[in-house]
Amino acid sequence: MKTKIQPKPEFMQKMKKLLDQADFEKYEKIIQEPLLNSIRCNTLKISPEELKIKLEKKGWKISQPLKNYPEVMVVENELQPGELGRSMEHLLGYYYIQELASMLPAIALLAPPLDIDSNYSFSLLSQKRSAPKPNELILDLCASPGSKTSQIASQINNTGTIIANDVKIERIKILASNLERCGVADEIITREDGVAFCEKLKEQGLKFDKILLDAPCSGEGTMRSSPKTCLMWNPNTIKSLSKLQKKLFQRAFEILKEGGEMVYSTCTHAPEENEEVVDFALKEFKDKIKIEKINLPVKCREGVVEWENKKYDERVKFCARIYPQDNNSEGFFIAKFKKLK
Amino acid sequence: MIHILSNQETKEILSKLNEQFGIQKILGRLIKIGKERIFLFNGDFSDEQIKNLEKIVFIEKIGIYVGAIFLPTGEIRLSIEGTQIFKDQITKNIFEINEEKFGNWMQGEELDIQTGLKGIIVIKYKNNFLGCGKASENKIGNFIPKSRRLRSKNIIK
Repeated sequence: MKTKIQPKPEFMQKMKKLLDQADFEKYEKIIQEPLLNSIRCNTLKISPEELKIKLEKKGWKISQPLKNYPEVMVVENELQPGELGRSMEHLLGYYYIQELASMLPAIALLAPPLDIDSNYSFSLLSQKRSAPKPNELILDLCASPGSKTSQIASQINNTGTIIANDVKIERIKILASNLERCGVADEIITREDGVAFCEKLKEQGLKFDKILLDAPCSGEGTMRSSPKTCLMWNPNTIKSLSKLQKKLFQRAFEILKEGGEMVYSTCTHAPEENEEVVDFALKEFKDKIKIEKINLPVKCREGVVEWENKKYDERVKFCARIYPQDNNSEGFFIAKFKKLK
Repeated sequence: MIHILSNQETKEILSKLNEQFGIQKILGRLIKIGKERIFLFNGDFSDEQIKNLEKIVFIEKIGIYVGAIFLPTGEIRLSIEGTQIFKDQITKNIFEINEEKFGNWMQGEELDIQTGLKGIIVIKYKNNFLGCGKASENKIGNFIPKSRRLRSKNIIK
């Protein structure tokens, strides 16, 4: 029996401001429902076709909900708690348990850019995958537990180099263990505070082709999988996280190569941690930064341009908001940037 | 302490891998962390870049753990990932187990079985490569780490 999620009233008031009434009701309903059993086939070890056969032999009914992303799978059966993580296929690294929305930042990072002047709507776009560029230097600044790092490694087929950084030893252990199980062989795992890490690399002149900044956040989008987030939710934490996120963004963008691309993502809905950070970055880096439209295979909404008496740069509308009620997923926020000079 | 193996040291490891398992090629650079653990790094970050990075940040790990030197005998014991990476090259000292033993093996149990082999051997079940065991006359010792063990055989169908 799933525990009833009881978000704080103040949080629900904020969500009401973000959504219209009908949408808010859908949101209220979906957060009480269990998440899909989503997994990502680890193509470093096995093809989606082979994995599907293996899993179906176990009696699992497998669907592949994202066109052109056969590695994204959902186990349709009702499973015992922890069953996905205890299977032989999981222990051998053939798949990674990953929520659908959490797969999107890595997809955005490696997707081809969209023409910013094209007629664009945040709905189910026809997805085309680009061939990954070989030999790129990629940074995953806040990498643990490694879901996105292993997804990137899998998409670039262990070519190039990924530096996967995190700050705490306990988180590094989980990261290392997950990357090992997934057969990731092109990574260097470092342990350093994100801001200090970027400053040290800047001093040394090391720059990256691609950076994923999946920033520490208040996790409002993860209430379905982590109901304790409701208890921990606190507006003061959001303010301090917003400061940290801006600092991380600023430092990370400084070590991006000219022409390089960076994805900023969080698993929260709070505009203070999302559009406000993007607005800050656009003001800070002016003509050095371009925000890019994102081509994602799920329903997304535009970024909010106004929040609690603050008006953001109009371009924040190119950010993607992923709400649980739109795709039966968790909530996420994704923005993609290019460094112009 | 991270040690990027020199060409000569890599040749020595390859020679052991060849002698034990018939492996002829290593695609990537070998790195040793500590005395025993060997990692394979496929990234194209140069040795100099790695050393420079190590000067400014703490490197926890590079590449993937492929095996360890089994100190009592000096043989190389490939990890699960090591056997998966080299699966197309492994021609010697490989033993295929049946479905029942597969369950036992993945639970971390020693297998009571005569293989006709001695020393470190690769274990496989169908097309699944499952790391190495130590074969003696009537049994195979199991090296599957706790974190990778099956809790119940019922999970295999």
